[in-house]
Amino acid sequence: MKVTYPHMGYLNMPVSKMLNNLGVEVIEAPPISKKTIELGSLYSPEGVCLPYKINMGNFIESIDQGADTLVSVCGAGKCRLGFYNAVQKIYLAEKGQIQFYMLDTNHLFSDLYRFLRTVAPRASRLVILKNMAMGIKLLKALDAMNEAKNFYGARTNSPEQIIDICRGGTQELANSTYKKINFIRDFTISSIGAICNNNQCRPPRIALIGEFYLLLEPYVNHSIEDLLIKQGIEVKKFVYTGNWVYSNTLLQALGLYSEEKAYLDQAKPYLNYHVGGDGLKSVGSALQCARDGYDGIIHIYPFGCMPEVVAQSALKNIANDYNLPLLTLSIDEHSSDVGIITRIEAFADCIKRKKYQH
Amino acid sequence: MHVHVGIPQAMLYHEFGSLWADFFRYADIPVSISGETNKQILDRGTLLGIDESCLPLKVYLGHVDSLLSECTHIFVPRVVQYHRNFLFCAKFAGLPDVVRNTFRLSPEQIISPNVEYKSSVNQLQSLYTTCQAIGLSAVPGYLAYRRALKSWRADVPGDIGSSTPKIAVIGHSYLLKDAFFCGNIMNFLASRGVQVITPNHVARKVLYDEAKVFEPDIYWQLSAKIAGAAHYFCRQPDIAGIIMVSSFGCGPDSLVNEYVEHHVFKKSDKPYIIINIDEHMGSAGLITRIEAFWDLVEWRQKY
Repeated sequence: MKVTYPHMGYLNMPVSKMLNNLGVEVIEAPPISKKTIELGSLYSPEGVCLPYKINMGNFIESIDQGADTLVSVCGAGKCRLGFYNAVQKIYLAEKGQIQFYMLDTNHLFSDLYRFLRTVAPRASRLVILKNMAMGIKLLKALDAMNEAKNFYGARTNSPEQIIDICRGGTQELANSTYKKINFIRDFTISSIGAICNNNQCRPPRIALIGEFYLLLEPYVNHSIEDLLIKQGIEVKKFVYTGNWVYSNTLLQALGLYSEEKAYLDQAKPYLNYHVGGDGLKSVGSALQCARDGYDGIIHIYPFGCMPEVVAQSALKNIANDYNLPLLTLSIDEHSSDVGIITRIEAFADCIKRKKYQH
Repeated sequence: MHVHVGIPQAMLYHEFGSLWADFFRYADIPVSISGETNKQILDRGTLLGIDESCLPLKVYLGHVDSLLSECTHIFVPRVVQYHRNFLFCAKFAGLPDVVRNTFRLSPEQIISPNVEYKSSVNQLQSLYTTCQAIGLSAVPGYLAYRRALKSWRADVPGDIGSSTPKIAVIGHSYLLKDAFFCGNIMNFLASRGVQVITPNHVARKVLYDEAKVFEPDIYWQLSAKIAGAAHYFCRQPDIAGIIMVSSFGCGPDSLVNEYVEHHVFKKSDKPYIIINIDEHMGSAGLITRIEAFWDLVEWRQKY
C-alpha cells in the first residue's frame, strides 16, 4: 500500500511524518506546479472550482509515481467539497485499482483515527494517538511561526531575511522529533524577533480572508502573505491549519467547539446563516476586523466558489459601511501571477496612502 | 399596517410557489408574483448580482427588483434542508442575506422563515416567523397554511398522454419552467411534433425513490431529483432522447452532470445532450444544437 494525499500549504508535513512514523509507505505528490494544474484541469469538469482541479493534478502525478491509496477530506456540508471524490473516482478509475479514503471534516477525529488504524494495523492505539497529537503540535508550531513572520515582517527593513528564517525553521521542523518541536518553534520566533528593528512602528494592517484552500496554499495564492509583508503591511489571517485541526478533532470530539456557532454571532447582521464552506467565517472575521480598525480586507477564493459568492455580497456592504478598502481576488487556473501581483501592489499602495494621509 | 407581499417567480418558486402564493391568498394578504422572466429582469439581475454568481441567482435578483416598487414585503424563504438526507445548495441558505445585502433592505422588509428540517415543529416555527412579519395572528395563519398545503399536495402531475416520440428534458425546475430559458428548446421540439416530458411530469416520490441509488454520494436535494429523473427516464422505453439543461455557474451541476453522465447516460443506450445556458441569450447556437440532436434521435429511430 502506497499512500498519497493532495497538497495544501504545509499540511503535507505532519501528514507524511505521521504516516512515516507508523511505518506506512508514503508517495508524496510533487509540489504543485504549472504542470499539476494543467494536468488537473484536463481531467476535471470545466466548471468546477480550482481546489478540485489541483487535487486531481496531485492525485494523477502521485499515481504516476506508483501510489495506489488516496486519502482526502470531504464533507463541508453545502459546498462542493463533499462531492469531490465521487467524481474524481470516475476519472481515476481509468488509472487502475485505486483505494480511496475520505476523512469527513464533521468527525475528523474518529475518521482520522480509523484511517490510521486501517493503514497501520500493527501500530498500537497509543502510538496512533501519540502521532495524531504530534501532527497537531507540529501544525500549531508552524502556525505560530507564520504568525510571527507576518507580525515582525511588517516591522522591519529586511522582510526577506525574516521570510528566509521562517522557511528554514519550517524545514527544520520537518526533520525534527516530537520533543524538539517547541524548541525549534521558539528559536525561530526569537530569531525572527531579533531581526525586527522597528518594533514601535504601526504598519497598516490587512485582514486576509476567504476560502480555506486558497488561503493556505502559497502556490495558488502567489505567496500573497510574503508579498504584502515585503510591502510593509501586516497580514492577519483567521484560518490556521493547526487551530482548525485542533478544534475540529479534539475539541469537537469532546463537544466543546462548534465552528458554526462561533461565527454566527460575529457575522450578524450581514449574514445570518451558515452557508457552507468558509462563507460565514469570511464575513464574521471581516466584520470583526472592520470594527477593530483594520486598514483593508483582501478576499481570496476560487472562481465560482458557492459560499464565498454569497459572502461577497455581504463583504461589499461591510466595506462600504466601514469605509474599508476591499480587494476581491477570484482565482482560477488561468490567473497569471503578474495580474495578481500588480493588483496586490496597487492595493497596498492605496492602503498606505490612505493611512498616512491622516 | 399596510402589507403587500411580493414573491419573486424564480428559483424555488418553481418548486414550492403555489404553496406560498396560496398561503398568502387564503390568509387574505395581498400578494404579487413577479411574473415571467423577461429581458429587462435579466439585465437588471445581471447588473445587480455578483459577476460570477450563477444565472438563476442573478435572475432572482432581477425579479426582486421588479417587485420592490409595489410591495412592502418580499418573501424570501431560507430553504436549507427539507428532506432528512439532503441539503440545498449554499445559495439557498444565503438567499435572504444576498437579497438584503444587494438591495440594502431592512430586516422587516424581508419575510424569511428558516426551513431547516422536515419536522412539524420547524414548519410551525417558519409559519410563526412569517405570520409575525406580516402581522397575521397565528390561528388564521395556521388555517391558511393547512389549506395551502392540502391543495399543494393534491397537485399531482397529470398524465401527459402517450403520443410518440417523447424527449425528456431534465434540469432544475427553475430553468425548465422558465420560458425565458427553455422556451426555445420546448418550442422547437413542439414544432417537430415531439412530446416533451420533464421531471415535473413525474411524481416527486418516484424521482426520489429512483435517486436512492445515488444516496451515499449526492447530498443536494435538487441534484438528487435530477439524477433520479435521469435514472428514471433512461429506463423508459418510450423516451427517445434526453436533453439535460443546466446553467452557467451552477456549483452542484458542475459535478453532478459529470456524475450522471458517467453513471446513468453512458450506461444506457439513449442519446443525450447536455446544454449549458448563460445570460448571453443568442438562440441560434442553441437551436442548431437541438436540431442536430433531434436529427440524431430521428435517425436512431429509423435504423
